[in-house]
Amino acid sequence: MSDAEVTVKSATRVNDELLSSLRPPTLAWYLLAFFLGVVVACGLAAFTWQMMNGMYVTGKNRPVMWGFYITGFVFWVGLSHSGTMVSSILRLSRANWRRPILRAAEAMTVFSITVAGLFPLIHLGRNWTFFYMIPYPNQRGLWPNFRSPLLWDMTAITAYIIGSSLFLYLGLLPDLAVVRDRTTGWRHKMYAVLAMGWRGSAHEWSVYHKASTLMAALIIPVAVSVHSIVAWDFAVTVVPGWHSTIFPPYFVIGAILSGVAAVITLMITIRKVFHLEDYLTPLHFDNMGKLLLVISLLWTYAYFVEVQITWYAHEPIEWEVFSFLSSRYTPQLLIMLVGNSLLPIIFLCFKKLRRSIGVMLVVSLWVNVAMFIERFLIIVPTLSHKNMPFAWGSYSPSLVETLVNLGALAGFVLLFILFAKFFPIVAISDVRELDVRKAEVPMGRTRVPSIAEKE
Amino acid sequence: MEILGIFRDIESAAKAVAGLVRVGFTEDQIDSLTSVPYPEGALVRTKQSSWFRWLALTGGLSGALAGFVLVAGTASLYPVQTGDKPIIAIYPTAIICFEVGMLFAIIGTMVGMFLEMGLPALNKRVYDPAVAEGCIGISLTIHGGGRCGALHAGSSD
Repeated sequence: MSDAEVTVKSATRVNDELLSSLRPPTLAWYLLAFFLGVVVACGLAAFTWQMMNGMYVTGKNRPVMWGFYITGFVFWVGLSHSGTMVSSILRLSRANWRRPILRAAEAMTVFSITVAGLFPLIHLGRNWTFFYMIPYPNQRGLWPNFRSPLLWDMTAITAYIIGSSLFLYLGLLPDLAVVRDRTTGWRHKMYAVLAMGWRGSAHEWSVYHKASTLMAALIIPVAVSVHSIVAWDFAVTVVPGWHSTIFPPYFVIGAILSGVAAVITLMITIRKVFHLEDYLTPLHFDNMGKLLLVISLLWTYAYFVEVQITWYAHEPIEWEVFSFLSSRYTPQLLIMLVGNSLLPIIFLCFKKLRRSIGVMLVVSLWVNVAMFIERFLIIVPTLSHKNMPFAWGSYSPSLVETLVNLGALAGFVLLFILFAKFFPIVAISDVRELDVRKAEVPMGRTRVPSIAEKE
Repeated sequence: MEILGIFRDIESAAKAVAGLVRVGFTEDQIDSLTSVPYPEGALVRTKQSSWFRWLALTGGLSGALAGFVLVAGTASLYPVQTGDKPIIAIYPTAIICFEVGMLFAIIGTMVGMFLEMGLPALNKRVYDPAVAEGCIGISLTIHGGGRCGALHAGSSD
């Protein structure tokens, strides 16, 4: 067999392996999709019940008018934050280990921001009038008030959904052409339309690379702005505990923390389900572990600064809010601190643990549980104990809110597994590009791996 | 007319390109079709200047302007007087201008990229699915009029 034959076979084998997720679904896949569909249906039924009976079916009450829905909203926006951002930063910094991770991270962003965008609408009440937020000439004589952070959210989330979807599509373009050339029937027609006649000419690649770099540079400020705006939803109020200048960077750091952890969880799942052990290697988990460790340290610093200033200044109402939070919600606070700080910092300092798939799964899952709790602790205790002691109250989520949140989680997973069934879940051209550029070169008495780059 | 040759590895494809250049075809007439990007000049040379970024910039600026018109126009048409604060509030206006500006810049980038690539391709062009499996296609465009560009270029030297 000649070298040339080895090259061709190798490319075909890589295509086969990376496109294994597109094979006809197994019984297990159908069962999972059915289960997720049932949970989504339960969430929809709960939401319908809420629309028919009014907001009293939720646990929201004076003074806690933001509950599980806004917790879910902030959590999912945060989760969406990291996918595109990690992908963009790694793309711009030309980190070669990024390649097998990009697609899952970008898809995660699109689906989580889509889920996040539903929560403000669900939270609004009288959902059938949600279109009042859209600015268009109308007979009501009313236009949205852009001074409201709700409108900032709507604009930012719309921009981010469209931007991250286009970013995902941009990355998919060369891979769609590969799938087009390997399929027949309606699938071939669908991929042919989506690939838009891509041939991989030198000119197409040249323009594509410039566009990818520009898109990566453009999407980062949008991602940062989205979560900053979510933080401003809180910080521009005069609610004690929220009215803080550190909130936007603190939210952004928290968002990246939960996003990086979610990407790791997805990497582990994809690796196991689609047998991608050769592509998602311990090196990738090692590097993602380092990233998670750095972000966890940053989050710890930001949280420490927030609490330390409250404690040192001892402004009565600010301290009252924190005292109430730490006494009434002690278990939740501990889970949050362990999950976001203690566990990642202790475990991820060690290379052996970063390269252990089991450890990374536990750490990444715990981080996201802790981040959901963190969102809850920002919202509920603060609203429970605002400035006026005669209006202090409490909040417990109702079954309706819990079902809607579970439905959202199931909806996210369902969208992801559907995406993985129709589109390459690992970026084929990116992975294969590294293969063709990689070589071992002699250096002294040994041979070292080298990657060809040209400016 | 465009013709396509399929090669199994980059070395033989590069030799073919070098051969075509040696016999007088110009770089403009030769193109490579690959499923992974190769460094510039490894197979063919492409022109490095690109104009789609201007469309991204135009998109961004027009988006920011559209955002300003939307917020400032709304505030002017439906004024909400709050104390002695300005009708057109700077903070929300800046936020909406930024978001709409960035959105239009992103859309401008995508539209510009496709326009510059000439996609979606409406005409049938030479291609072979073997390219997706790692083969390298070298296409040669021969100008009409009965004489190939190479011969024409060769004769003029």
